[in-house]
Amino acid sequence: MRARKISAMLMAGAMVLSLTACGGGTDKTTEAAKTEEPAATEVKTEATTEAKTKEAAEEETDAEGNKIAVAGNQDAEQKLVIWTLSNDLKQFAGHYCENHPDVQIETVVIAPADYPTKVQAAMRGRQAEPDIIVGEPQMLETMYEAGYFEDLNQEPYNAQDYADQEVDYAWQIGQDADGIQRAITYQITPAGVFYRRDIAEKVFGTSDPEEIGKLFADYDTIKTTGQTLKDAGYKIFASEGEMNYWAGDSAWVVDGKLNVDQDRKDYMDLCVYLYQNDMTAYVDAWSTTWYNAMAGEIPVIDADTSVWDDAAMAEAEKSGNTTEVFAYGLPTWGTLVMRDNVKDLSGQWGVCSGPSYGFGGGTYIGISALSENKDLAWDFLKSTTLDADTLNWWVDVSEGDVVSFLPVLEQHKDDENQVYGGEKLYDFFLKQAEGIDTSRITKYDEPLKKAWGEAITAIKTGTMDEESAISNFYDVVESTYPELTVER
Amino acid sequence: MDKKIKPQKKKDLNRTAYFFILPFVITFLVFSVYPVVRTLYLSFTDYKGFGVPDLTWLDNYARVFKDKFFWRALFNTVRIWGVNIVLQLGLAFLLTIVFSDIKYKVRGLSIYRALFYLPNLIAATSVAFLFKTLLDWKYGTVNQMLVGSGLMNSATNWLGSTVTAPLVVAVISAWMWFGNSFIMLMAGVQGINKDYFEAAAIDGAGRWKVFAKITVPLLKPILLYVTITSLIGGLQMFDIPFLMCGGTIGNPSGSTQTVVMYLYKFGFETNQVGFASAIAYALFMIILVLSVLQFKWMNKKEK
Repeated sequence: MRARKISAMLMAGAMVLSLTACGGGTDKTTEAAKTEEPAATEVKTEATTEAKTKEAAEEETDAEGNKIAVAGNQDAEQKLVIWTLSNDLKQFAGHYCENHPDVQIETVVIAPADYPTKVQAAMRGRQAEPDIIVGEPQMLETMYEAGYFEDLNQEPYNAQDYADQEVDYAWQIGQDADGIQRAITYQITPAGVFYRRDIAEKVFGTSDPEEIGKLFADYDTIKTTGQTLKDAGYKIFASEGEMNYWAGDSAWVVDGKLNVDQDRKDYMDLCVYLYQNDMTAYVDAWSTTWYNAMAGEIPVIDADTSVWDDAAMAEAEKSGNTTEVFAYGLPTWGTLVMRDNVKDLSGQWGVCSGPSYGFGGGTYIGISALSENKDLAWDFLKSTTLDADTLNWWVDVSEGDVVSFLPVLEQHKDDENQVYGGEKLYDFFLKQAEGIDTSRITKYDEPLKKAWGEAITAIKTGTMDEESAISNFYDVVESTYPELTVER
Repeated sequence: MDKKIKPQKKKDLNRTAYFFILPFVITFLVFSVYPVVRTLYLSFTDYKGFGVPDLTWLDNYARVFKDKFFWRALFNTVRIWGVNIVLQLGLAFLLTIVFSDIKYKVRGLSIYRALFYLPNLIAATSVAFLFKTLLDWKYGTVNQMLVGSGLMNSATNWLGSTVTAPLVVAVISAWMWFGNSFIMLMAGVQGINKDYFEAAAIDGAGRWKVFAKITVPLLKPILLYVTITSLIGGLQMFDIPFLMCGGTIGNPSGSTQTVVMYLYKFGFETNQVGFASAIAYALFMIILVLSVLQFKWMNKKEK
């Protein structure tokens, strides 16, 4: 009797615990588990799929919501499986199969929030599929350490022979701590400041990218630029975090020690200043209003405006209660996001340099160490990242993605992008890429950036003063990474 | 001889029964017992999501109990749940009184029941998105209406203040769950023998007396069930604050960061699976203790 009672209680306990362990609906949220950065990937994905995908064959969605596309002949002799984050590789697979009738490729697109967990499960289960896996820069260090990627410097790949054909920074991100090539990308993602040429002409008397770039040369100048624009009735940015691709001048972690350089503190100061001095439109990046501002006016509602009264609204519009946003900070793929949202303002945008050199995202492709089709995988990888024909095709199909293969970049140097007033964007982004310092990337970046952002939010909204917000940031870092030394 | 055969036949029958429950037992072992045991094992290791876990025994638990952010997350969770349960049960009770009153004779109970339950059928992602849009500081409809109608002088940053953001989450949770509680309480009330109410009416008991002396005491088992399930669910709160308040950070200033969001941060954002498992078990222990206390307290009052 007693034993029965105990076992019944144990069972009941196990049931309660299984509820706890599952956590309130984690899978429900994966769909929306994208904070700012992953959202960016998503946007990029959508922007490029819009491009003609005749090649991408039948597509279906599996039970977990992953998109699966199968390209090529059903009874092909060879089969390749790709697990990726963005839709781009689906198109590359379609293109590859057109030229290789004896190959069939299955491309599975997995949401960024789920990707590391899924790959990890496959690798730990020692599955031969997928043959090709990818990673974004912030995930790569962990994936290299775990040994997921094949060494591409060895025979028969000899990836090092291609080193001088790729943009330096993008090539280096594909290397592990020992300098061994593990992954290669097809795109570069340096950031630029996207600005309204018409507003620039009105307020600053010029819309020349060189000149406008000077207005964003450093944080202090940005403050002055913000003031000038405010006086003229414009907002310099939609959200105050637009300069986040250029925040910080050194790595977050140096020799196991947390490193908060002066530049990060200045960046914090800039965000708070822009917010508290009414220079932004107070919207979050990737929100609906943030997109709307790319196409022109957005309303600014304040205490005195009765939104239900047409006359008052019209009055408010006249008195400057709608506003326009001057600039956005975005990486290369931002050109596609903007293109899809600028509407009538097509041709009125321009791109100039920011306060330093920054970049965001990028898909790095490698071969799974457990793949049984390594030769075929290498052929696909080479064709996708190191082949002039494929990349020329990609430049065309993606309508403006910036490739990392130097010969093709050179070829398109003089291409003019009409959405951006005929600016030569390939040339611009190549120059930006030359300044990028990859030694700053660490696996701690994303969580630390998030915590620093939290401190900035606390200060700008007045819930904490600067000193306690920074001290709280140090506490968070100590709690999250006990292995790091924090010097206050 | 006969005597020997009979018990054997009985035995065989019992064995067949085991085959019938086998599918459940297997599913239960694989999907409930294994993860639970595995999580317990991982909580004693430094597992980082890949490689071979090293045993660190109680290090993770020591870290959990020393971590002020864990306690802050627990405090946040309890605070949100506390406001939520008062609103949720209060509203459900009020509606139960109205709908169960013999004198009011409210018609269309089934329609109301469905209407009240409706918020619970909407996916949490949709609810979060809906409210985030409605409550937007500068562009949200709620502020436009409040300011436009003169009820407020300037727009409130609902999700930007450490006071209002947890409140918003609590109110939304209450809105989602009061229909559920209402159905439970209503079922409980309908299960009470009508004779009690009639006898009370004959004795001249007022509405309040009937409610306090008959309805509430007889509803106790249902109340216990509702509060315990709500406590277990409430302490595991994740989706709404996660989706509305900037992911695992719990903006502003971590005021809406719940325990499960904190767990998620370690398990899925920084790959400290061992530590995350320890948080899961710490939460389990807390829920267990609170449930037992609640059970004891409710039963004590009955005596």
